[in-house]
Amino acid sequence: MAMLEVEHLTKSFGGLTATNDVTFDVGEGEIVSIIGPNGAGKSTIFNLITGVYRPDAGEIRFEGRSIVGTGTNKIVDLGIARTFQNLRLFTNLTVLQNVLAAQHHALNSTWLSAVLRTPSYRRQEARMREIATEKLAFFGPRLMSFRLNQPVYVLSYANRRRVEMARAMATGAKLLLLDEPSAGMNPSETKEITKIIRRMRDEGGYTVVLVEHKMGLVGEISDRVIVLDYGQKIAEGSYRDVVNDPTVIEAYLGKKAAAAKRGELEDVDEP
Amino acid sequence: MARAGTPTAFDDVDPKRRVRNVALTLVAIGVGVLVLMFLESLGSSKLSQSLALFAIWGVATVSLNLINGTLGILSLGHHGFMLIGGYTTGLLILDEAARARILTSARSTMTEESLAISVTNMLRGIGLDALTTPDTLWVRFLIAIFLGGLMAAFAGLLVGIPSLRLRGDYLAIVTFGFGEIIRLSASTRLFAEYTNGALGFPGLTSEFGKSVWWTFGILAFTVFVMSKLKFSSYGRAMQAIREDEVAAQAMGINLAYNKVLGFVISAFFAGVAGGLWVSWLGGVRLDFFLFQLTFFFLVAISAGGTGSITGVLLGTALVVFVRQYGDPLEQTYTLQQWLTYAGATLVLMTGLAVLFRSLRRLRPRFHWSAGVLAGAAVLAFVVAAIDPAFLEGTFRGFGMRAIFLSVLLIAIMVFRPEGMIGRAEFSWSGLLGERRSGPTDDERTQDAWLTNPVLNPRGSDADVASGSDAPTAPGRSAARELDVGDERHPRDDSTDDERRG
Repeated sequence: MAMLEVEHLTKSFGGLTATNDVTFDVGEGEIVSIIGPNGAGKSTIFNLITGVYRPDAGEIRFEGRSIVGTGTNKIVDLGIARTFQNLRLFTNLTVLQNVLAAQHHALNSTWLSAVLRTPSYRRQEARMREIATEKLAFFGPRLMSFRLNQPVYVLSYANRRRVEMARAMATGAKLLLLDEPSAGMNPSETKEITKIIRRMRDEGGYTVVLVEHKMGLVGEISDRVIVLDYGQKIAEGSYRDVVNDPTVIEAYLGKKAAAAKRGELEDVDEP
Repeated sequence: MARAGTPTAFDDVDPKRRVRNVALTLVAIGVGVLVLMFLESLGSSKLSQSLALFAIWGVATVSLNLINGTLGILSLGHHGFMLIGGYTTGLLILDEAARARILTSARSTMTEESLAISVTNMLRGIGLDALTTPDTLWVRFLIAIFLGGLMAAFAGLLVGIPSLRLRGDYLAIVTFGFGEIIRLSASTRLFAEYTNGALGFPGLTSEFGKSVWWTFGILAFTVFVMSKLKFSSYGRAMQAIREDEVAAQAMGINLAYNKVLGFVISAFFAGVAGGLWVSWLGGVRLDFFLFQLTFFFLVAISAGGTGSITGVLLGTALVVFVRQYGDPLEQTYTLQQWLTYAGATLVLMTGLAVLFRSLRRLRPRFHWSAGVLAGAAVLAFVVAAIDPAFLEGTFRGFGMRAIFLSVLLIAIMVFRPEGMIGRAEFSWSGLLGERRSGPTDDERTQDAWLTNPVLNPRGSDADVASGSDAPTAPGRSAARELDVGDERHPRDDSTDDERRG
C-alpha cells in the first residue's frame, strides 16, 4: 500500500482551478518530484496535503487513513511535515530553538510540569535536544557549534533552507514535503542538498516529495517525476521518460519551440 | 567533555555552571532582602510605597508581557483582568465593619447575601474557624488574591477565544473592547450587587499591598513562573507563534491551545496584581482600573524591551519612578525657573547625545544636533539670567509627568526601538561575560570554507594540525558520523576540536 494516496484532487480559487483532478501516490521510501511551470499548482498540492486548504473534491489518504479535513497541526502529528518555498523560519529564535519548537507537538507534559521542570519533562527536553542536534548534523558541521545558538536572522539564505529542512525532519514526520529545497542556492550548494535529500531517505528513512525547478536536482534523485500544468497532471514516470514526453516539452517550451527543439533536453534546465 | 555550543541542560546553560548560577541567584535574593530591609529601616513610607507599587505593577507588566512579548499578540485589556481580580479580592477580604457600613448605607446596591461572600465565611463553612482570627488575615488575603486570579483567568479564557480567529490590530481592538466591557459592566445593575456600583468598597486593608515583603514575594513568584514558562517547550511554542503563525501550525503547534493558555496564565497573574493593587490603594473603585493603567504597562514593556522579563521590570521601574517622584514637575514655578530647568535639561540631553554617539561609535562624535541642543541651553540660560519682564509670571506644570513619560517613550522608540535591553534576558553567564557572542577564529575559518572552499581556503595542512593535536575519538561527534561525505568534507580532517571550541 502506498504511503500517500491522492485521488482526483480538485481545488479552485474563484474561477481559477489550481488543481484539477490530480491523482498520484507515493510509496514508502520513495523520492517523488513534482515539477511544472510556474502556476501549475505544485504548491497548492502541498497546501492541500498539509490541510492549509480544504479540497473541493477528491481524497487524500496517508497510511490508508483519509486526512481531508484534518487540521494542519494534527497532520504533523500523523507524520507529514513540510518546508516552505519562501522561508518561514522563526526568525528571532536560535537555530536550536527553531528545531526544538518543531518537536513541541510531541511533548507529553502539561505546562505546569514544564514550569516545575518535573523529571519526566526534563527527560523529554533532553531527548528533544538530542534529536535536534541529530537532525542538524545531517547538514554537516555548519549548523553545529556556534551556529546552534545564533538567531536565524544572521544566517545565510542557504543555511536558513537547511535549518528549515532540519526543522521539518525534527517534527518526527515520516513524509517530508520539500517546497523548492534548493531555491536561492548556488550550484555547489545545490549539489550538496541533492546528496542530503538522498541521505534523508537512505539514512533517515524519510519519504520525500519535492517541488523543484532545478532539473539537475530532480533528475539526479527522483525515483518518479510528476508533471503538472494548469493544475492537471500531464505526465508521470521516470525522469528520462518524463523529459522526453512531448506534452511536457510543450508545457515548458510552447508548441513551436517544442517542435524546434525536439530531442534536445538540456534547454529544459532553466524554465 | 561538554561541547560548548551544544547545550545539554536547560536555559542553554552548561550544567556545571548551573549550580553556581543557582547559588548566585540565592545570594542575589539574599542581598535583595537585605537592601529591602535597609530601605524599610529608613522609615520613609513614600519609598516603601513606591517599592511596593513597583512590585505590584511588575506583576502586571510581566504577565502582560506573556501575551504581548512572548505570544506576540497586542492585548489592551489588561486593566479588565486586573479589575476582576481587584473586585474579587476586595469583596472577599472586606472586614466586618466595612460590610456593616455598606449595608446600612442608603446608596449601597449590595444585598445581605452578596455581602456575606467572604473568605471568612467560606472558611467557617468548611469548619476552619482557626483561620478566621485577625492574626490569620494573611491566609485569607492569599486565598482572596488566588481566587481573584482564578476569576480573572476565567475571563482570560473568554477573551482568548476570539484570539483564535483574529490577528494583529483587529485582535488588539477586541481585547481593548473586552477590557472596557469588563470595566463598564462592573457598574451595571447586573453586577452592582457584587461590586457596589460606582461606590466600590472603601476601607480595605493596606497591610499587604503596601508591604514590600508581600508584594516582592509575589513578584518573585510571578517572575519565577514566567521565566520557567518562557524557557520551557511551551514558551518556545508561544514564541514560534509570535514569529510565524503559519509555520508554527505547520510544525504541529496547536495555535488555539497555546494562545488561550497564554491568555489564561497572563490573566491569572493580572488578577493577582489587581488584588494587590486594590490593597495598595486601600479600596476598590471603578476609576482605579482605567485604560490608562494598561497604557502605563505598555509604556513599561516597550521602554524596557518587549518580550524580555528583565527589560519589562526595568521599564516598570522607570514608569513607577516617574509616577511616584515626578511631582516636582507638576508644581508652580516662575517662568524664569522653568527656563533655567529647561536649560539644565538641554545640557543633560547634549551630554547624553554625545555619550550615545561615542558608545555607538558614530562619527562625528559631536554631531551638529548636539550643537543645536547646547546652543538652545545657552540661550535659555542667558535669557533666564537677563530676566526680562515677560518672565515675571508663574506656570503650573500640570500633566508634565505624563508629558515627560511620553517624550521619554518617543526618545526610546526613536533611538532604541527594541527597548532598553531588547529581547535579551539577564543571566549570570551573560553578566560574567561567559556567553559566547560570536564564533572563534577557527570556527569562522571553518564556516567560510564550508560556504565557499575555493574563495576561502583553510590554509595549509600544518595550520590545521596545530589547531588540534588530539586524535578524533570515534563516534564522539554526531556531525562526524553523518558528515555530508562529499569531496568538500574530507573525512580525514581533524578539526573537530577547533570547531567546537
